[in-house]
Amino acid sequence: MTLYRLFICVLFFWATNAHADISLLKENHCDQCHRLSSGDKEQNLAPDLFYAGEKFQEPWLREFLRNPHIIRLNGYSGRMDFPKAITPQPHPSLPEKVADEVADVLLTLKLLEPETPINFGEPLSKGKKVRAKILFERNFSCSACHKGVNLAGKPHGGESGPSLFNAGARLQPQWIFNWLQSPEKYRSKGRMPRFDLDQETAIKLVQYIMTLKKENMK
Amino acid sequence: MTSIWLKFLGTSILLTLSACTNDSDESVHREPPPTVAEVPHETFVPAPEVVKPAPVSQKTRDTYQWYCSQCHGITGKGDGMNALQLAVPPRNHTKADYLETRTDQQLFEAIKLGGLAVGRAPCMPAWGNTLKDADITGLVNYIRELCHCEGA
Ligand code: HEC
Ligand code: HEC
Ligand code: HEC
Repeated sequence: MTLYRLFICVLFFWATNAHADISLLKENHCDQCHRLSSGDKEQNLAPDLFYAGEKFQEPWLREFLRNPHIIRLNGYSGRMDFPKAITPQPHPSLPEKVADEVADVLLTLKLLEPETPINFGEPLSKGKKVRAKILFERNFSCSACHKGVNLAGKPHGGESGPSLFNAGARLQPQWIFNWLQSPEKYRSKGRMPRFDLDQETAIKLVQYIMTLKKENMK
Repeated sequence: MTSIWLKFLGTSILLTLSACTNDSDESVHREPPPTVAEVPHETFVPAPEVVKPAPVSQKTRDTYQWYCSQCHGITGKGDGMNALQLAVPPRNHTKADYLETRTDQQLFEAIKLGGLAVGRAPCMPAWGNTLKDADITGLVNYIRELCHCEGA
């Protein structure tokens, strides 16, 4: 009986714990720069990956690992020397097969399971999009630090935050919502100001960010 | 005729939207900081008075580097990494001519509530949910140290 319990325990541990799989990431040296589990000591060289399965959209992630591109135009904001603006180095790229295996592991890494996932509804209508753009560009200064899109369909905005120009294809809406409402759950201290947003406003901002897709741009 | 109207409509939409960042590729000209013009023009600038600012802690300096340098720059000259992308340039905190026309309370409120709430450019974010009042008071003192100036 005890043996049986132990077996269940081990099975449970094995099923919920991604450590076995993380070794694939370590084999590929991802841990040289990234934290792969929330317990890892902060090294602040690159964005954390221990919630990658919650943060990224699968197709984007698979493509990024094969064909990486620059998202943080002045480097990673966690670095102490960030204010001097870091010239970003090209990200290591992986061969297709390895990229897919690595992506499979990353997609299992989650931190928060939302108690009540939010329904972000239909894509914004034109009129609602214009109003949400004002929230993003004016009321909350988001575009002072993030690249969004201008009326000509070109990237525009600040450069200290990660570019959001293609965020609609890159990030999961629920993760953006969680980040806006409680960033400290993911990162003890970032450089983005905290906003005291009511749920409705946060949802509008998420819906707006989800319209930012390279494929939608002229 | 219609084209003039369209242009007018276009610019007005542009103006309402581009309150913070330049919303057009062509727009290279940037709005001057709003109230510098109100500063009286004197024929010669008197040497700055020696003022003794309140002591500034290392924590306050670190806070400035951590958050504010993104726009105001490492030395407070308004040349942070976002500066070139903003329609209204981040205030240069080392220049007395404008800052001495503002009271400490006005600077405090601009930092806490953000540009939009105090009639300044909306690209100055509100820090009231990020920083405690005491931190903000520290930052005001630090800005006074940077500008070698006192509040109005
Ligand atoms: C030399 C350091 C380094 C190594 C090694 C490295 N990365 Fe990165 N990685 C970075 C940096 C820096 C960024 C931020 C790039 C940017 O924003 O432009 C990044 C970004 C990413 C992103 C996007 C994260 C985000 O939040 O936008 C993913 C996914 C990623 N890396 C996965 C990996 C994987 C998987 C490996 C191992 C195969 C790996 N990285 C190895 C430095 C590294
Ligand atoms: C003062 C600059 C600044 C402002 C203003 C700002 N952000 Fe950020 N944002 C950042 C930085 C820097 C990061 C990277 C994490 C960090 O350091 O906090 C970030 C991270 C993010 C992320 C996660 C992106 C990723 O790929 O990891 C999202 C989404 C985001 N911000 C949305 C917003 C929205 C929406 C607003 C307006 C309500 C906003 N930001 C306002 C600087 C800013
Ligand atoms: C996203 C860019 C950005 C960040 C980050 C930022 N500022 Fe600003 N700040 C601005 C801009 C732009 C102005 C100019 C506003 C104007 O002139 O209308 C400004 C103006 C100011 C002013 C002058 C207000 C007035 O009365 O005219 C003060 C004081 C100030 N900022 C302090 C700070 C402090 C302290 C921090 C850090 C906690 C900070 N700022 C972070 C963009 C920024």
